[in-house]
Amino acid sequence: MKKTVFGAVSALVLGISGATAQDFPSKEIQGIIQWGAGGSTDTVMRSVTPHAEEALGATIVMQNMTGGVGAIALNHVTSAKADGYTLLMGAENPLLYKVMGLGNKDYTDFIPLILLARGTPLLLANNDAPYDDYQGFIDYVKAHPGEVRIGATGPGGLSSVITAMMNEVEGDLDMIKVPYDGDGPALTAMQGGAVDVMPAVLGAAIEAVRAGNMKTLAVFDVEQNKNLPDTPIVTSFNEQYNTFLPWGSFFGVFAPKGTPDDVVAKLSDAFGTAAVNPEFLALMDDRGFKMMNISGDEAQAFLTKWQQGTTWLLHEAGLTKASPEEFGIARPGE
Amino acid sequence: MDTLMALLTVITQPQLLLLVGVGTFAGVYVGAIPGLSVTMAVSILISFTFSWDVYPAISLMVGIYMGGVYGGSRTAILLNIPGAPCAIATAMDGYPMAQRGEAGQAIGVTTTMSFFGGLVGILVLAIAAPLVSDFALRFQPRDYMLLAVLGILLVGSLSPGSLLKGIFAGALGIAVGAVGRDPLTFTERFTFDFSLLDGGISFIAVMIGMFGVSEALLQLRHVATPTVRQKITRVVPSWKTVRKHLPLSLQSSTIGVVIGALPGTGGDIASLMAYDYAKRTTKKPEREFGDGAMEGLVAPETANNAAVGGAFIPMMTLGIPGDAVTAIMIGALFIHGLNPGPMLMVDQPEMFWFIVGALVTANCFMLLFGLTGIKLFTKIVEMPRSVLIPLIMLLSIVGAYAVNNSITDVYWMLGFGVFGYFLRHYGYPLGPVILGVILSRLLDDNWRRAIISEREDLWRFFDGVVSSPLSLTLMLGVILVFVSQTRLWSFAKSLLPRRKSPQEGD
Repeated sequence: MKKTVFGAVSALVLGISGATAQDFPSKEIQGIIQWGAGGSTDTVMRSVTPHAEEALGATIVMQNMTGGVGAIALNHVTSAKADGYTLLMGAENPLLYKVMGLGNKDYTDFIPLILLARGTPLLLANNDAPYDDYQGFIDYVKAHPGEVRIGATGPGGLSSVITAMMNEVEGDLDMIKVPYDGDGPALTAMQGGAVDVMPAVLGAAIEAVRAGNMKTLAVFDVEQNKNLPDTPIVTSFNEQYNTFLPWGSFFGVFAPKGTPDDVVAKLSDAFGTAAVNPEFLALMDDRGFKMMNISGDEAQAFLTKWQQGTTWLLHEAGLTKASPEEFGIARPGE
Repeated sequence: MDTLMALLTVITQPQLLLLVGVGTFAGVYVGAIPGLSVTMAVSILISFTFSWDVYPAISLMVGIYMGGVYGGSRTAILLNIPGAPCAIATAMDGYPMAQRGEAGQAIGVTTTMSFFGGLVGILVLAIAAPLVSDFALRFQPRDYMLLAVLGILLVGSLSPGSLLKGIFAGALGIAVGAVGRDPLTFTERFTFDFSLLDGGISFIAVMIGMFGVSEALLQLRHVATPTVRQKITRVVPSWKTVRKHLPLSLQSSTIGVVIGALPGTGGDIASLMAYDYAKRTTKKPEREFGDGAMEGLVAPETANNAAVGGAFIPMMTLGIPGDAVTAIMIGALFIHGLNPGPMLMVDQPEMFWFIVGALVTANCFMLLFGLTGIKLFTKIVEMPRSVLIPLIMLLSIVGAYAVNNSITDVYWMLGFGVFGYFLRHYGYPLGPVILGVILSRLLDDNWRRAIISEREDLWRFFDGVVSSPLSLTLMLGVILVFVSQTRLWSFAKSLLPRRKSPQEGD
């Protein structure tokens, strides 16, 4: 009797573990979105996932889990079972958690299933600002120290990184940093004149730029952007930017470390197929996102390089709480 | 002609008409359940409608939005538990009416006035959208801050008993709202090194606990007393009643549209401000405010539905969300291949008129669903308390969990429920606590932005206030409302009739 029970149980256990390997996915998959509904991470994930569902033949239930600059969602997924049924849909900022004192986990606790796309940073200005390009802006700031108001989205946000880059390249720029809780509200405030300039990702600003509601000073990239053919790239004003660029925010889907290899491969393939869907590509192109569609070692290498470059840049600008060295993050190029 | 066609799209296509209807119906019920929010429903719909065309998807969302904003008033009136933050003010006078057996009348007035407010909001959206959005953009951080201060002064209106206790409750709310990582600098505040407190305390959990659980606990004391029979003969308010409140509802609709159109403020603040406005301006209410005054229903309900139209104004003209729901709808438009932004009105004006049409339709459905089925709803309050109280507890727990799918929120909710129970016992009003939580961030964030922008110089800040007409108006409003609550005002007032009486005596 005991033997039969034991046999049944072990068969069941074997059956279950067998199921994870071959029949994945056999139930709904949970996709935890790190940011709130309506934001850029949210919209990108909600536009790519249905195509991935189709490729996978399973349902992915997406849920926004906000708070703690995304750390709550990240911790939630790391504490879930590493079986491929709980995925993290996130952006770049977890790579800064450790140095910013926001948590002790980052993407090193995850396997990147796919890095979808990256956003290009822009420097934008209020239409009434007395400068029309990057050089004019820098000259103005130097001539009027402590007068220009620049929008900031908190330490580790895109605007803080771009501001740190400018201080690194141009010498310390004396500006008033007005804090906002996201680039959307900051860009709104800029149109109302509450801030003068704002570094933001192209996708967040493109429609307002097209309508002429704000002006672009420079594209923070090494090559001309086809969505903004008339805006010069920042390296054409100062070549020193080549050390830091190309740099940008990015979006990716991650599974907790320890997820079985074949499950990772299946999910990775599904999202890879979704990422080349023409509808999705058109959507991303419209918003000025640059497709990456990389996974595996290539994605891992990108993450490592991004983390090294950005954490050290912020650290040298005095914006971090702890040195990247403490977490074994090597200096770029080492 | 094209405009008219676009406007009538919803009505001419039965499928769209049906979807708006279904959406509105669902919205009324989603809105009525505390914790199930319109924001949540709309974000679920984004995935659900992914493969649909854009018109049907938007139709459903517009319906849910309109119905949901209205639905919150149901539970506020019947159970004293606002189904959504924008119905908090409705409970103040709606619940006393239900206790008197006039729930049917209260729901009738609420529905009619919500319809009216919704209509005003849509009308402003259709005619004056660019004008209003230009005005909304002009609000600087200091103006938002002054608006928040004006809001804080509502404490006086929301505290029926001791003002001092009201101020204490409001301050408590502001402190609760500040817990967690500060969204601007990510610095921990009042977290005492507990990672649990990092994400802050969910405002919805506080609201459900304070209103739902504490109400259930309070009712436990009267389990044996028989429930009030509800009269539901006069559901549709008479033309006389409607006409009497027309001036007030127009004014509170205006408050609703403007507050709704401001990015960063929505129906919750609008309805509380409208309530306060009604309380200040109504000379002789038939019944005292807080005791079942009709005006106390009319003002917040017109304002919160007018705020719906208002929230669409910056969304349609600039691609800037007016509130959390329109933020998600912008995402939905983007996913459906449109480019929501300032060019949308230029490139695809038919989208604008389609949404206006859908809103009007949803508003009509809301009136229809609101005025029917009241009999069934009022049965809820006629239930024996031994059934009703567990039901309230169950709804509260489900609602608190559903906000973030987090069990922690349920504990917060229960904790604040017990706390709220004792607050009530000692005569502390709960309204100001919620007001404080709502306004905490608006006040805190914008004060910091304002003072940082002026290089932390107080004189420059005041100079800015005085030199901007908008800020000056708001500042004068703050001073006026403040002084009107002090003894100085009542003293000045007492002088007036005395001067008059000798004349009369002559």
